[in-house]
Amino acid sequence: MGISDTPFSPRNLLCQENPDACFKEQQQEEKEDDPCLFSESEDEYYIQCLLHRETTAFGSKSCCASTTTSSSLKRVRLDCIEWIFNTRASLDFRFLTAYLSVTYFDRFFSKKPLGDWMIWAIRLLSLACFSLAAKMEQSTVTPLSAYKLQEYDFDNQQIQRAELLVLSTLEWKMGSITPFSYMSYFINKFCGESKPEGLCSRVAELFMAVTKEINLTDHRPSIIAAAAVLVAIDSQLTKEAVELRISPIALWGSQENEHIFSCYNMMQDIEKRIVKTPASVVPPHSAAGTRRRLNFNEQHCPVKRIHRS
Amino acid sequence: MGDTNSNNGNNTNTNNKKPEWLQQYDLLGKIGEGTYGLVFLARIKSSTNRGKSIAIKKFKQSKDGDGVSPTAIREIMLLREISHENVVKLVNVHINHVDMSLYLAFDYAEHDLYEIIRHHRDKVNQSISQYTVKSFLWQLLNGLNYLHSNWIIHRDLKPSNILVMGEGDEQGVVKIADFGLARIYQAPLKSLSDNGVVVTIWYRAPELLLGAKHYTSAVDMWAVGCIFAELLTLKPLFQGAEVKATPNPFQLDQLDKIFKVLGHPTLEKWPTLANLPHWQQDVQHIQGHKYDNTGLNTVVHLPIKSPAYDLLSRMLEYDPRKRISAAQALEHEYFRNDPLPGRNALVSPNDKAVNYPTRPVDRTTDFEGTTSLQPSQPVSSGNAVSGNIPGAHGGTLRSGPRQMPVGGMQRMQPQAMQAFNNLASQPGMGSGMNPGGIPMQRGLPNQGHQQQQVRRKDTGMGMSGYPPQQKSRR
Repeated sequence: MGISDTPFSPRNLLCQENPDACFKEQQQEEKEDDPCLFSESEDEYYIQCLLHRETTAFGSKSCCASTTTSSSLKRVRLDCIEWIFNTRASLDFRFLTAYLSVTYFDRFFSKKPLGDWMIWAIRLLSLACFSLAAKMEQSTVTPLSAYKLQEYDFDNQQIQRAELLVLSTLEWKMGSITPFSYMSYFINKFCGESKPEGLCSRVAELFMAVTKEINLTDHRPSIIAAAAVLVAIDSQLTKEAVELRISPIALWGSQENEHIFSCYNMMQDIEKRIVKTPASVVPPHSAAGTRRRLNFNEQHCPVKRIHRS
Repeated sequence: MGDTNSNNGNNTNTNNKKPEWLQQYDLLGKIGEGTYGLVFLARIKSSTNRGKSIAIKKFKQSKDGDGVSPTAIREIMLLREISHENVVKLVNVHINHVDMSLYLAFDYAEHDLYEIIRHHRDKVNQSISQYTVKSFLWQLLNGLNYLHSNWIIHRDLKPSNILVMGEGDEQGVVKIADFGLARIYQAPLKSLSDNGVVVTIWYRAPELLLGAKHYTSAVDMWAVGCIFAELLTLKPLFQGAEVKATPNPFQLDQLDKIFKVLGHPTLEKWPTLANLPHWQQDVQHIQGHKYDNTGLNTVVHLPIKSPAYDLLSRMLEYDPRKRISAAQALEHEYFRNDPLPGRNALVSPNDKAVNYPTRPVDRTTDFEGTTSLQPSQPVSSGNAVSGNIPGAHGGTLRSGPRQMPVGGMQRMQPQAMQAFNNLASQPGMGSGMNPGGIPMQRGLPNQGHQQQQVRRKDTGMGMSGYPPQQKSRR
């Protein structure tokens, strides 16, 4: 589990061409069937389709508009995300599952503003988002009793009721696109043959970290994915260098290119904090959730970060 | 039908009062029963669609403690995002807030291929007309091509899941149903038996029987080949005896039936065969046994040179990578020769129409699954249910609406939770599924199939524009 199965492009390019240790598990599974079921052009086709769906989902919404919320509500959201990430780690779920939960959470509260709810209801709904994401992405069903909140004790029926509310509010459209969908595509595009070791785990770490900074309904997953991959490859790029890198990928217009760069800048800052802040010196409930190094399960992502200054 | 899937909990607290959503239907009775629950036939009362028949599938309560069942979530999610003339149409999702059960309302289809084949075999003793077979097959492939273009694999195609519309505007139109096992390619897959699901093995592709863990859309094409042969001969092509054990037993008899007709698969023709677990493990039975190639043509009584035989044998290609795709099959010569396939598969321009029986309705069972007069009987044999439920395994259902207990919560005031419940069950809280206007979320550039019925919201990447223009619509 863990990161090993996060990228899900039809053809797992990364997996075939660079036997990154991260992907060992998947590689072994791939062996029995022919991994070359999808051609390069099908990959492009797949990405085009994802982008099209993304455009439909995000509509004309400006990509970098930021949803304004009060700091106390931000705190509530961060608490929910912390809980989701910690639960993911303790249950050994995929990173994608946690990310998807936050996507559901943000989509839900973009329709029913956070301020309208009591704290316990928000916590219950975040739990429901997580259990729904697990049902979508994990291959085994986890009993609801496995999800424990510290402050509240919800019974199964209450959780199920919350699940139904989330499902109906999201109109049962649970197949949200996440940056993970684009990860291997962009890694391949930006790196070509020379993929730095542990790149995918750094990219995933950035995906996870960015959820604490932005509302996921404000940013298109493809843009988050492109920016994160670029930062993970090189966090010192100038604007021109970023443009140079993304120009061969003819997926976006100039507006999106702009957004990639602003997203890149934001992730540069995140990256600096991740690198600077060792996990041990940060108290578990630090005020800024981003300061804490993510609780990555190294055994499932065995590629160590190479030390970067 | 508007936004009716959320009803007000206040109206459902008593046994004798129907929930609001249910009041818009006249319930006629139960038409099917399966692993996932019950299927009912109902008519719409409202003036706009008065009398229109609807199949309502009630999901069984998931195991207590697991919340909303993943199968229900996946099926509804897929159905919400797809729209095609040859795919069953979900018109509404109803949540019964009292017991949190889910009801899916579909356009009702009077027939299915299981019943049609059975009728020809057992009642009229006469083969299905060439026109009808070809029209069924073309429409089935057309729907499947749409699903595969959207990265959806059905995984459980069989005659009872292929519905055919009865009298009306859409008479004789094929609808692919039952997406309970369908997956988007990228979703995690586990073997079917791991789901605790009993799926008939007769239509299962050889790579799955040999233990492949990865599904491709080719598994659906194998099933289509089996269904094609069954339409021609009125008998299941590979009728293996199923091994009932868990997890994922090796279905030797099913493979044996296949090898007897198609001959032994060889590494030469199917190189990745060597990697399949059961092929490696069960050397004695599989590799050791020698099969004479009976010949598919003798089983289906088709001349080897005929286009029909050519198409069938391409669908039953052992190597999934070489197996014909739905898109390719639609282009096959078979469909360009007379008789040409038509939209109304039941009424051929030349032949006399066959009168198929209507679905039996068990009028003694109510929406809760409780019987009013006598214990319910399965209404039709086998798994011929319209509501697309594989298998015929009944199960216990909740026997009546009851007040949901609100206890068990610590550090929270009961009235606070009540407020949440009320909020959750307010009418109009999301999920208005306007039946006509379910937008196609993934308006994909189609791989060029005529008669594509997709109603796309926009054309930024429409069918003509492949490869799509680089600048996406804003």
